[in-house]
Amino acid sequence: MSAVIEIEGLTKRFGHTRALDGLDLTVRTGEVHGFLGPNGSGKSTTIRILLGLIRSSGGVARIFGEDPWARSRGVTARIAYVPGDVNLWPNLTGGETIDVLGSLKGGIDPDRRRDLCERFELDTAKKTKAYSKGNRQKVALIAALASDADLFIFDEPTSGLDPLKEAVFQECVREIRGSGKTILLSSHILGQVEQLVDQLTIIRDGRTVEAGSLSEMRRLTRTSIRAETAEPPEGIESLAGVHGVRREGNRVSLTVDTAELRPTMDWLAARGLVSLVSQPPTLEDLFLRRYEEG
Amino acid sequence: MGGLGYTGRLFLFALRRDRWLIPLCVIGLVAWTAMYVASYKGLYSDPAELKKLAASMEGNAAVIAMQGPTRALDTLPGVIVWETVPVVSILSAVLSLFLVTRHTRMEEEDGRTDLLLASGAGRVAPLAAALGLTAAALGLAAVGEATVLIAAGFDPGQSILTAAAILGVGLTIAGTTAVCAQVTGKARLTRGLVAGVIGLAWALRAIGDLGNGRLTWASPLGWAELTHPFSGGRWWVLLLPLAATAITVALAVATLSRRDIGAGLLQPRPGPRRAEGLLLRPIGLSLRIQRGTIIGWTAALGAYGLVIGGMGDVVEDVLQSSPAVKEALSAGGSATAGPALLDSYFASLLVILAIFGAAFTIGSALRPHSEEAHGRAELLLASPLGRVRWVAGHVAIGLVASAAMMALLGLTIGIGRGISTGDFSRVPALIAAGAAQAPAMWILGGAAVLLFGLSDRLAGAAWGLLIACFAIWSMAAFGDLPGWVNDLSPFTHTPLLPYADAEPGTLIAMTAVAAVLIGVGLALFRRRDLA
Repeated sequence: MSAVIEIEGLTKRFGHTRALDGLDLTVRTGEVHGFLGPNGSGKSTTIRILLGLIRSSGGVARIFGEDPWARSRGVTARIAYVPGDVNLWPNLTGGETIDVLGSLKGGIDPDRRRDLCERFELDTAKKTKAYSKGNRQKVALIAALASDADLFIFDEPTSGLDPLKEAVFQECVREIRGSGKTILLSSHILGQVEQLVDQLTIIRDGRTVEAGSLSEMRRLTRTSIRAETAEPPEGIESLAGVHGVRREGNRVSLTVDTAELRPTMDWLAARGLVSLVSQPPTLEDLFLRRYEEG
Repeated sequence: MGGLGYTGRLFLFALRRDRWLIPLCVIGLVAWTAMYVASYKGLYSDPAELKKLAASMEGNAAVIAMQGPTRALDTLPGVIVWETVPVVSILSAVLSLFLVTRHTRMEEEDGRTDLLLASGAGRVAPLAAALGLTAAALGLAAVGEATVLIAAGFDPGQSILTAAAILGVGLTIAGTTAVCAQVTGKARLTRGLVAGVIGLAWALRAIGDLGNGRLTWASPLGWAELTHPFSGGRWWVLLLPLAATAITVALAVATLSRRDIGAGLLQPRPGPRRAEGLLLRPIGLSLRIQRGTIIGWTAALGAYGLVIGGMGDVVEDVLQSSPAVKEALSAGGSATAGPALLDSYFASLLVILAIFGAAFTIGSALRPHSEEAHGRAELLLASPLGRVRWVAGHVAIGLVASAAMMALLGLTIGIGRGISTGDFSRVPALIAAGAAQAPAMWILGGAAVLLFGLSDRLAGAAWGLLIACFAIWSMAAFGDLPGWVNDLSPFTHTPLLPYADAEPGTLIAMTAVAAVLIGVGLALFRRRDLA
């Protein structure tokens, strides 16, 4: 598999601030790549460099094998982009905006457009001024999803969508991946992207801190669990991979290394599990874990 | 009065946000007056010189339309007040327009008012704070202007009356802006409406001053003149701006208390579900974005042309009854004296209208800048659309529209003139005269593109260039500027059509300058980061 995006040691300075400080990112053809980092870690800066909107201060960035700053037509025509904060022209309707954005990419598939408008339940006759943040986001999403791009770059694309529309978005991403296209999905919440991504790059302060497949990384993380059992869960502290146990009568909360999840669940089940809440590892857990190790 | 909660805090907050802008504007307004005082004290220290000036201005219709009727021109304060009050009044009005819009409708449009009201501020508090801020700025300027006049040794009472008259104009327009900000949901449209009101006030005053004077009473700009500072002095006229301010502010507050925050009085209507035709091309989108502004300016300039053209017969009478003009006529002995005089009058009016019109040219050239600032450029430029093509499209629309609306202005002046004087023969010449102003406007547009290409933060400096051109025009009328300063403004190079000969060479050279500025600006923009 060839790489669609290759970034090595990328730096970007804005005056005295270093927005990117030696960032690495490789996205291969056909994968859904999660691009994670806390607010202000440099995700959008990286994306804007990839789009040729700003120029890198150093390092290497290649998109479809070319320098993004050159913005050759062969490259830009293959990219569809949805910014995190979508601003639209107030005196155009949503429908007009979709067509305008689509026309820039050489037109969009009308059937796909209609289908997407229905699925996202967008009223295309409204002026964009009257739209909520989520509806503005839908406009940009539909224009991107209905286009014939090879690489889709989504910068926190679902931050304004309700859970139902977020599910629609996830469906669409799976459809795109099914047709062999590449997706870069940036977010600061692991939970939003983990169901979708194959590969993950996590950055912090403009540097890559972790890159690999999600399952690799899962192994390094902990799931947090709150449970109530029929018998008091005494002795759970001594199980392998269990941390931070807090017990109160028959209730217990703990975190467990994902690799040790099964024995822990078996142990709890054997003591008559009454209720269970489990939370997947958050981005914060991944960071914490890394710092503990590091 | 729950609606006024936090007004004081919002006032201080607005003051904090504009801590550089306001002192700069106040100093600018005071400096305008101070500059005249300083230069005229030198120029007209001899009473005989003043007498000569007064005689030459008597019955000069172009000057009367611009400055108001000649009163007490044989005294130094009389000349200075006659020269500065109309200009400083308009500048104060423009300052009011910008400050009130900036702190009311613009805040609301961008959703920041919601934050303030949700944090406990009263509904009316943002408007009250904005008006307070504007009044404070205008008040400071008034104190400065009065001080400058008193320091020059003029009568203190009349000096204060002068400053108060200017303050009255600013306050009236502040109230008017407050009303307009309630009507429309968009800051840009608010500014357009108020600019229309200022233009109307100017036209009413000019018509009134050239005619029987009645219409002058209907114009806020006329009220300043009617206080007659240093030539009688009528304090009671100040009641008019006071009443107008009170009424407009009350109207704005009443509307604000009834309407939804974020909405204007006009509700948005649904539009087409699909984009069609030209809109599917980049130039079509740019055209759609600029459409409203182009229509507004074209309508305003076209109507204006009819009005000033329609005053043609009055102006002709005034001109021919002037002793100074008569003298010049008998020396020249030309049979076409009347129409030629009118030609020269329109030629001088077209220059200042072109400077005003250049505000459109600059605004249009800076559209890519506002698109960039609002994050919309990013959506477009992430697509295959090239940067140069995108900016060039916006700029081209601005250049063509500027030329077209100036030609239209010439046409409507010609038609108005034909209706009033019965002479339609000058229509083609007036169209050409309007269009000939375009290259100078293009140069300012080009300068705006250059600044925008350099950096998104520098782009706004283009407005400073427009004010500089206005200042040069205002001072140059009395010939007291060094030649090289005068030459800096592109508008001083435009041939004075239809009165003077066309100079195609000059116009071509000016167009070339504009082309170079735009070319360099585009090249620079290709190289810089998008904000």
